Amino acid sequence: MDKCIGLISGANIENNYGALCVHRPVYMLPFGGRYRLIDFSVSNMVNYGIKTVAIFTGEKIRSTMDHIGDGKPWDLNRRFNGLVLFPPVTQGYPINLNGDIAQFFTAMDFFEQVKEKYIFLNHPNILAKIDLNEAFHHFIETDADITLIYKKQEDPWGEYINCDKINISENGEVLNLGMNLGTETNFMMSLKTGFLKKEVFIKIVKEAIEKGDFDNLQDAIMNNKDKYKINSYEFKGHTENIRNLKSFYDANLNLLKKSIAQELFYERGPIFTQTKDEPSTLYTETANVQNSHVANGCIIEGSVENSIIFRGVKIGKGAVVKNSIVMQKSEIQENASVVNSILDKNAIIGEGVRIAGSTLIPYVVEKAQKIRKD
Amino acid sequence: MNSKVVAMLLAGGQGSRLKALTKKVAKPAVPFGGKYRIIDFPLSNAANSGIDNIAILTQYKPFLLNSHIGIGSAWDYDRNIGGLRILSPFMSEGGGRWYTGTANAIYENIDYLDELNPEYVLVLSGDHIYKMDYEELLDAHMEKDAAVTLAVMEVPWEDCSRFGIINVDEDNFIVEFDEKPENPKNNMASMGIYMFNWSILREYLLKDGKDKDSDHDFGKNILPRMLAEENKMYAWAFDGYWKDVGTVRSYWDANMDLLDPNNTLDLYDKSWRIYTKTRNLPPQYLARGSRVVNSLVNEGCYIVGDVEKSIIFSDVVIEEGAEVRDSVILSDCTIKKGAKVYRAVLLEGTIVEENQVIGREDTDTVYMVAEGIVTEE
Repeated sequence: MDKCIGLISGANIENNYGALCVHRPVYMLPFGGRYRLIDFSVSNMVNYGIKTVAIFTGEKIRSTMDHIGDGKPWDLNRRFNGLVLFPPVTQGYPINLNGDIAQFFTAMDFFEQVKEKYIFLNHPNILAKIDLNEAFHHFIETDADITLIYKKQEDPWGEYINCDKINISENGEVLNLGMNLGTETNFMMSLKTGFLKKEVFIKIVKEAIEKGDFDNLQDAIMNNKDKYKINSYEFKGHTENIRNLKSFYDANLNLLKKSIAQELFYERGPIFTQTKDEPSTLYTETANVQNSHVANGCIIEGSVENSIIFRGVKIGKGAVVKNSIVMQKSEIQENASVVNSILDKNAIIGEGVRIAGSTLIPYVVEKAQKIRKD
Repeated sequence: MNSKVVAMLLAGGQGSRLKALTKKVAKPAVPFGGKYRIIDFPLSNAANSGIDNIAILTQYKPFLLNSHIGIGSAWDYDRNIGGLRILSPFMSEGGGRWYTGTANAIYENIDYLDELNPEYVLVLSGDHIYKMDYEELLDAHMEKDAAVTLAVMEVPWEDCSRFGIINVDEDNFIVEFDEKPENPKNNMASMGIYMFNWSILREYLLKDGKDKDSDHDFGKNILPRMLAEENKMYAWAFDGYWKDVGTVRSYWDANMDLLDPNNTLDLYDKSWRIYTKTRNLPPQYLARGSRVVNSLVNEGCYIVGDVEKSIIFSDVVIEEGAEVRDSVILSDCTIKKGAKVYRAVLLEGTIVEENQVIGREDTDTVYMVAEGIVTEE
């Protein structure tokens, strides 16, 4: 895998997440008790030996800078190779700078200089622990210019409407890429992830700039489908495609299923993240925790059920937390009740306050918001 | 604090009374409190006190200690200027020599200290669990214009015979050392933490190095000689939590102290964090039907059973119907269905088989399980 650079780029639609993405890009959403979505993407690359990782950060870069920093948790703080962050370029080029093509174009020096010949493109909002050795092997063996990765997704309830749908021929060639309208209960979902020959990537980007016809890499790739050999690789593991508040909430609570937690947390290598040096979690005499993930540094005195509790959370005596996601350093005071909710970082739910959403539309408490009884 | 202080952390101790706990590792590397190793406490104290230069002197079974410390990143000691050095015994013209005593360990590394040429040398032990701001110790040392300042603390009278007891005058200057006295005159014990003026320490190390009858020990040789030669030696009183976990029993006690709501070693205090090497484990999972009360649980655990008054380290599995009481369960243990563990210390990787019972609830004994063998303490 050291022939590949990792390229993480997330064109985000951030208004699907209520207050959660006011201050952060989607890929920086906290996930699974102690992670951010992007940790899965970077860790999987590092676990498969990718040594150069380029992240196109998008806007709201502060939380990214704070979390990713120099890449130390992923051992990407190197003198040779390592992590390269590309904040968005908004001026200085005589071209339309919307879309990822333009951003890649502004970093053309980087792509031309790195010695790796291949690019592994990954979308950080889609969690999938892909066996990169196997996928890369397929890409090389089939002598493809581009290999796109998809998953056969069951969708009896139309929850995946508007996701990218990939259509392939019998021998795995990509025919086209469209939008899933829920007409089938099983569809092939594009994971917006795949391998590209670097020279092909550079050509596609440059041509799109010259012609000015496409803003997005995915569209530009499909426009070239007759020119290059574009095939596909099926990922058979568990996938979380995080695209709105509901799917974000569900993806977290899905971790309460043992097989899913096992696959996302343990299989094919650990997930690395920023360490917070929190001590172990303390459960007092009155604690009662059922079917929940709890991170370190918490002090639990109340009841918790079907929930994900992040690092450094305090839950007071008599408090009840159910079907909820409680992010870092939030506090739920005595006798408060939190049901079907998402508490962003540092939120405080005061003594005796009751908040509740529904599992379809969880109640969101903003970062550092304090809710008290009148 | 700046580079005028160099800390020398003695981490070569075997800790033989900890038995199986130190069979493979030096005492400073013994796990403690859910996720730490003992040495994390003095190392974090040094980092939090702003000490820029620290050397760790290792000798006994150093492999795990070395990999735990690495280049000191966890404590922010991976620096260009200052930082952390591991000093192990080495060869020179006269052959190779082991460190024969606490003072000898420093003496053998005089070249290291000469190169840094500090004003003060802080001697620390890697064996103790406590939180201390060494800057306060330095301030007292400078204010009293002492040749050496010892950190001392009150210990229970009945324990005096285990410690070096310090007798002082009305201004807290030391007048007598009373090593493990039967009839102590007071209950102030030396904590093994010394702030020396480097020039004076250097002189005494050289003298002691030539003395063939010396044990080359700070408590037995260097400090008494300094006192005999009328150096100003100050006793700085410390009144926080401090524990020397010398035995399996006191190891179990010190872990249990963390569950006491009134314990003064507040691990949750954000202004004085204890740092350690991270293992990158996911959160802990408590299943439906589990019961975990009055306990500390660390990352990566999977708990279905019943846990009370216990310290559970990382990646521990406690299966359905299993019961854990008053116990310290180190990392990577599995306690299978229906097993019962009472008043026990389980070493890393212990597997308790289905329905197996370890220890007893109704005694004062502490049980230790290492490589499948249960011993009573």
